[in-house]
Amino acid sequence: MPLKNKIEELKKRKEEVLQGGGEQAVAKQVAMGKLTARERIIALLDEDSFNEYDMFVEHDARDFGMDGKVLHGDGVIIGTGTIFGAPVAVYAQDFTVAGGSLGSMHARKITKIMDYALRMRIPLIGINDSGGARIQEGVNSLAGYGEIFWRNTLSSGIIPQISVILGPCAGGAVYSPALTDFVFVVDKISKMFITGPEVIKSVLGEEISQEDLGGAKVHAQITGNAHFYAESEYECFEQIKKLITYIPWNNTRKARRFEPKEPKVNFNIEDIVPGDPKEPYDVRDVIRAIADDSDFFEIQEKWAANIVIGFGRLNGETVGFVANQPLVMAGVLDVDSSDKAARFVRYCDAFNIPLVTLVDLPGYLPGIDQEHAGVIRHGAKLLYAYSEATVPKMTVILRKAYGGGYIAMSSRHLRADFVFAWPSAEIAVMGPEGAANIIFRKEISEAPDPEAMRRQKVEEYKEKFANPYVAAAKGYIDTVIEPAETRKLLLHALEVSSTKVADRPFKKHGIPPF
Amino acid sequence: MIHPKLDDKNVTAFIPGTIIDVKVKKGQEVKQGDVLVILDAMKMHNRLIAPSAGKVKEVKVKPGDRVSKGALLVSIE
Repeated sequence: MPLKNKIEELKKRKEEVLQGGGEQAVAKQVAMGKLTARERIIALLDEDSFNEYDMFVEHDARDFGMDGKVLHGDGVIIGTGTIFGAPVAVYAQDFTVAGGSLGSMHARKITKIMDYALRMRIPLIGINDSGGARIQEGVNSLAGYGEIFWRNTLSSGIIPQISVILGPCAGGAVYSPALTDFVFVVDKISKMFITGPEVIKSVLGEEISQEDLGGAKVHAQITGNAHFYAESEYECFEQIKKLITYIPWNNTRKARRFEPKEPKVNFNIEDIVPGDPKEPYDVRDVIRAIADDSDFFEIQEKWAANIVIGFGRLNGETVGFVANQPLVMAGVLDVDSSDKAARFVRYCDAFNIPLVTLVDLPGYLPGIDQEHAGVIRHGAKLLYAYSEATVPKMTVILRKAYGGGYIAMSSRHLRADFVFAWPSAEIAVMGPEGAANIIFRKEISEAPDPEAMRRQKVEEYKEKFANPYVAAAKGYIDTVIEPAETRKLLLHALEVSSTKVADRPFKKHGIPPF
Repeated sequence: MIHPKLDDKNVTAFIPGTIIDVKVKKGQEVKQGDVLVILDAMKMHNRLIAPSAGKVKEVKVKPGDRVSKGALLVSIE
């Protein structure tokens, strides 16, 4: 047969695979308001950059009438491409082929691209849209999941791993996204749970819809399983592309440097933080007043909003911002906000992203539910993460920094490299009310007018201790700065810490309070 | 069954505190994000905002009231 004919045959074979699960199945996918796996890859990657592998892989199941059944690509597409020129490895489960169910060859395609991503040290993006294990393939499909989870763990902290949930992702399947760095969800399309509504109903008698149990909003606002929430698939892909610009290809590199840009003039840093420490404000405006082009890319915006995390740039270099949010629950630390910030600090540390921490918090949230939910163990994660991190760490204390909260928020004592405080900073062991009541208990109770004495002692304490100068006198903070100097000093700190050396004794790994 | 955090009709106190201001009246139309009540707690005048747009169905508190954690403050219909 002449080569020309063979090329024709190849084209014909490819054409067949490109049909996915066929017209009917594709129509069903569209009716659910979803893009097909191929459309998703095209929307996500640079134009014409995608190269597909393992197109002709076939399943090898023999039982339950599977013999002779054709499943194009075995329900998953794998390959490599670029996003804004950065190389990425991708897999996308194809729901139109046997519901995207995971059989052994399907899993082998995924693990092949995972191995490739790790070997080439490039980011991995997994698009999940699958009914779950392929029941006909029995324990082989469980083995497939296990192989994926093992690789997720192996790659963790070496290459960025991104999970996109664009359909159901239930049962064991949810653990791959949970092991990756960033999870993206889309309203009304993403569904994640360990046991679905049917099982919950039959075992517990409780009724709930898929959406209320594990929809996009649930994971973006309540569980914290999702990091980015979008209204549409296209918005989701734009978020992923933007994220890729902030992070490096792997843990041996720095994120790409961009052209430095001054913050926008409408964010005037001196007008944002009210003088009265009891008045709230949006700390994200302080970040925007500091960051290049006032650009702040927030992560987990709706979950544990009492702490703010995300990426921005200083002088063109990616930094991770962590900031207490006085606008939400007074900016307290609690179980969820500690978890959220701790994980982000570890992410930045793993990928050479310097940390900027903005402090303004009343302390930890008191409450029986918090104590019983393990705020000790969860709060410890934040201390652990900051203590362990060796990337440059810059801290700016804006207002309140009291008690354990002061220590936890990247203090000098946890080896912050630079600690700056605004003149509005109040750094003390506890708030004036609480402290005065304890220290002057006797004077207050024995005074002819205890209430007047209490107010007087609170004022005295406030004047003496609710300021940055006591901490500055001990060198716990490096310098008290004017708010307008913040960006300039952070740029300088970043410059002088670019060759930072932070040796730690060798260990296999620590035991963080997971 | 829906998680209380996804409840966009009822505004509750996240912690015990004192109501120092009530910005809305029963029957008033509010936009999402409008400040409904100011709660003094955790060294802060916390602004509790409307989780969704609608008409104020009920205002359960007045300035000076001490409220316990989880207490319903304002509901929207």
